[in-house]
Amino acid sequence: MKYLLGMAMLLIVATVAAQDSLRFIAVPAGSYVVGAKNFPLNPKRTVRLAAFRIAVTEVTNAQFAAFVQATGYVTDAQRRHNAMVFEPGLKEFRWLEDSTAYWEYPNGVSRGDISAKMDHPVTCISFADAQAYCNWSGCRLPTLDEWEVAARAGSDTRYFWGGDRDAITAYANVWLGHDHLSADTADGYMYTAPVAHFKPNPWGLYDVYGNVFEFCEGRTALDKPNSTQAHARGGSWWCSKNSCSFFNSVDIGNIHRHASFSNLGFRVVKAN
Amino acid sequence: MKFLFLGLLSLLPFRTLLAQEYPMPSKESMAYHEARFRKSIPPYGLAKVKEMIAKIQPDADEAEALSSRDYLSLSLREKFTYHMIHPETYAQNCDAVPPVMDENKKIFSRIPSSFGDFIWSKRQADFLVENKDSVCALIKESALRSKRIGCNYKEAILEMNAVEMIPFLVDFYNRDKKDLDLLTVFLQLMEQNKYEPFMKSASWKKLYSENASYEAYLDYNSANEALILQRVTDFYKNYKR
Repeated sequence: MKYLLGMAMLLIVATVAAQDSLRFIAVPAGSYVVGAKNFPLNPKRTVRLAAFRIAVTEVTNAQFAAFVQATGYVTDAQRRHNAMVFEPGLKEFRWLEDSTAYWEYPNGVSRGDISAKMDHPVTCISFADAQAYCNWSGCRLPTLDEWEVAARAGSDTRYFWGGDRDAITAYANVWLGHDHLSADTADGYMYTAPVAHFKPNPWGLYDVYGNVFEFCEGRTALDKPNSTQAHARGGSWWCSKNSCSFFNSVDIGNIHRHASFSNLGFRVVKAN
Repeated sequence: MKFLFLGLLSLLPFRTLLAQEYPMPSKESMAYHEARFRKSIPPYGLAKVKEMIAKIQPDADEAEALSSRDYLSLSLREKFTYHMIHPETYAQNCDAVPPVMDENKKIFSRIPSSFGDFIWSKRQADFLVENKDSVCALIKESALRSKRIGCNYKEAILEMNAVEMIPFLVDFYNRDKKDLDLLTVFLQLMEQNKYEPFMKSASWKKLYSENASYEAYLDYNSANEALILQRVTDFYKNYKR
């Protein structure tokens, strides 16, 4: 009995600690314009949202570790040994299957662990894993519209600073090379960067573009009925101008809900 | 009532949803869009391969691969069929490709991906490259019989860097000049082999240079068509094997 009580206390402490380390900004209820003209995947429209609070940063390795420690959760990649990892030299859009990779070794055991990267976003987790974290932490994933409203921070342009794609380097960890045949560390990082390392958007959210694709709840106008696809937004450290330039407020990616890649992560929201 | 309405809305075909927001692509454009994403289904051991896939993928929701034992039990032709209908691993987060206006009048910089959320695994890609001659022969045989080259066959041609298929593909294209993605295959072959005259061209700049969009395209017209066919023929003649 004493043991059970101790375990329960530990779980409560870990949950509170994980939430305390996340800062949130409040987004008021209201009508917001999202989408883009002539873009069927995400058509320009006005949406009505209830108030919500969204995390200032992506969920980090430290925060995910607290969840795993408290619950013993085993991720999709750990169970299925089918994570997809990256190393320089691959053709565009190609990833390596690595049976050793999971969130603690996001690009496989041979490419190192996260011990020096506890303040980086957690990766190599699936949409289902992100939902499990949310259930434990009392948060949830943002909807596609909530994510976009927060990323736009009041702007109506493709990027929250306007239309100039090249300004991305101040705000995001992305791939600056022309292709992925050789390593790109021009912004200091080939893989993930610590959260909040680059400049925030006008509402104070860090890394809405780049670093990791962020899982969102919801469906797009192009989803087939009964589709079980998940969606992720904002681009990642892998994304370059020439390949998958999703580091903007408009694009929406499709991904299998159990796929684990080392450029996929998430941030969380709470009801206000 | 609201839920009933939303439910009914979700059943509306894409064409209807599109009509609410955009100028509609023509019937020809929409039909061409669908044709671009159609795969070729090889006949070799098809029933046997489908049965084996059904056993590993009961709910069709996961990326699953045949066990090594089952995989090795397949003949080369059956393996080809397996790869063309069953990618074994997940594809990275990517945009859905919606129909665009006048799609049937555009020569895109890249062929569409064949399998949505999935992609060929390393052993599948390796099979194609290691058995290039046989795979090329099977693609030719299948294409001549079905009179079409599906997006998965095109993807395999690029995966294998099958430059030797260029004369066949040029002849195939010239039969009816309707599959503009074959012109895209030529562009991608020249691009991935860094064919110098192409790399210096205005077409390359528009399609593949640093500031080119992933959705870049050339207008389809007889001048662009003739230029691509001439260039790819020259590329083939000068290609060092």
